[in-house]
Amino acid sequence: MPPLVDPPYLALRGLAKSYGEGKPAVAGIDLDAARGEFLTLLGPSGCGKTTVLRMIAGLVPPSAGRLAVDGVDITALPAHQRNMGLVFQSYALFPHLSVARNVAFGLEMRGAGKAAIERRVADSLALVRLAGLRQRMPRELSGGQQQRVALARALVIEPSLLLLDEPLSNLDAKLREELRDEIRDIQRRLGITAVFVTHDQVEALTLSDRVAVMNEGRLEQIGTPTEIYEEPASAFVAAFIGRTNRIEARVAAGDATSSLLATGALRFSAIAALPVGTVVTAMIRPHRIRLGDDRMTPDEATNRIRARVRKIVFAGDVVQCEIAAEGITLLVESPTASAGSAPAVGDEVTASWRPADTLVFATP
Amino acid sequence: MRRGLVAASLLAPASALMVLTFVLPGIWLARLSLDRAGGGGVLIEDVSASNYLRFLTDAFYYEILWRSLWMSVAVTLATLLCSYPIALFLFRTQSRWRGALAVLTISPLLVSSVVRTFGWMVILGDGGLLNGALRWLGVIAAPLPLMNNMLGVMIGLTQIEMPTMILALIAGFARLDPTLEEAARTLGAPPWRSFLRVTLPLSAPGIMIGCLVTFVQGISSFVTPKLLGGGRIYVMATTIYEETFETLNWPLAAAMSIILVAVFGLCVALYERAGRRFAT
Repeated sequence: MPPLVDPPYLALRGLAKSYGEGKPAVAGIDLDAARGEFLTLLGPSGCGKTTVLRMIAGLVPPSAGRLAVDGVDITALPAHQRNMGLVFQSYALFPHLSVARNVAFGLEMRGAGKAAIERRVADSLALVRLAGLRQRMPRELSGGQQQRVALARALVIEPSLLLLDEPLSNLDAKLREELRDEIRDIQRRLGITAVFVTHDQVEALTLSDRVAVMNEGRLEQIGTPTEIYEEPASAFVAAFIGRTNRIEARVAAGDATSSLLATGALRFSAIAALPVGTVVTAMIRPHRIRLGDDRMTPDEATNRIRARVRKIVFAGDVVQCEIAAEGITLLVESPTASAGSAPAVGDEVTASWRPADTLVFATP
Repeated sequence: MRRGLVAASLLAPASALMVLTFVLPGIWLARLSLDRAGGGGVLIEDVSASNYLRFLTDAFYYEILWRSLWMSVAVTLATLLCSYPIALFLFRTQSRWRGALAVLTISPLLVSSVVRTFGWMVILGDGGLLNGALRWLGVIAAPLPLMNNMLGVMIGLTQIEMPTMILALIAGFARLDPTLEEAARTLGAPPWRSFLRVTLPLSAPGIMIGCLVTFVQGISSFVTPKLLGGGRIYVMATTIYEETFETLNWPLAAAMSIILVAVFGLCVALYERAGRRFAT
């Protein structure tokens, strides 16, 4: 069970979905979101995150489990009675209706008066900075504008939840960042509870109050972006969030606080009490590995190996080095600022990292 | 310049064929419609509007035009109502039988409408399958008049035109994205409102084309009114046939043909205008 944040505003209990025989798309999810929280479902495609979102929206009936919003069980409520603001990856604007009519749609369905519709549509379009485009047709708008209309259309009905299904995936990189910040900004200002689905870890980490990492229909971990990144609960989470070096190793020695791991001739330590002799998966983030001997702390000096540079990739803000030692290959990322001292291919270098940066997981 | 030349040469075969098989016979027909008929199929060369006047002043004839028009409209609407759910289903279904179902739906096109009409005669006749079954079940005592009347003609035409309508509808469903209906539902639209506000307007292009084709087929239909009408249902095509081959009044038949083409053109033009307003 995840920790309960206040009394939960959104509560999923054992929510599951199976399509016929075989592995379920979603296998019993327990998840809570507090009022005003920005919760992200993160995972690779096919992990069931979109299915969870669609079950919340009422577009997919769950095979088992219940869900409640603000203490009211809505499991059996049809989509059109749920008052959810859903933003689709494909925008899903009505192509035959103008921007204003698109935004007005939800209000018209609720039987709002003409004057009220007019005013609220104007407010909503102003919120997404599209006030001047109300008479345009969707096909006359750019992708970013279309998605902002979709956002306005979802928000204008004052939904109990804002559901976002990979809303940024169809946009180019720069626009994606811009709209990402805008979504976050609007969500905070309105104090609306949001559930965001994405396969993009950067979006998840930058936008969310909490991230729920999903894999094969199950929750792998729920936590703040920092927790997810720094203390991944499983090898899957560690590998999925950020880049990582993965080393299968045997526990060679250990005490109550730390262990010495060995693979081939390579020895390195981790902060974890592990039974000697077990085989584990160790993971080290590329940017936590330091190249060179200068200013090395004693802590870092614990895990120190000599390696040869095999490949260097300049990636703008970072330089990625592939180094090889004792039969294993490690990826190392250093900020470009310190690239003046960057090694060349074929150099022998010293690589080091803190034992605390060795993440250890049971080998599945 | 060169592009124009290429376009012209690509259009040439079709244009030549159109001129040869439609425009020239049309002109010949128009000329013929101004002649007069003597007794027993004798043609009297003339330039007179007498055939047109006769058609437009004789109730027997202009009622035929009227009947043809309303029959085609009614058949078109019936065809649309019967075809729309099937087309929507075929467009939407994820079933692995989709291909087979689609082939099954349009397979009647493989059989000539003469054969299909005979099929309906077997079903609708007084001693036919339908009346037979109903009598056997005790639902009716005397056979229902399902054939040799307008009802029979319309039943037959509707079924015969359904495959064409379904094909046109599916072709016109391109803009129908199920996500749009989901969007409508999350915005608070119950299924029927989502259908009226989203699905139906977005399938308008398919409906427009399907109805036009069906209407055209209906108003020019000959075999089905002739056979299922039992010689009692006079529509334009059957009457033109009779004037040509039985009464041997070619000028009148020609005039009726020209009138039919004119009505046709008028309908298409009106339709086009309505469609353009609807599409934007």
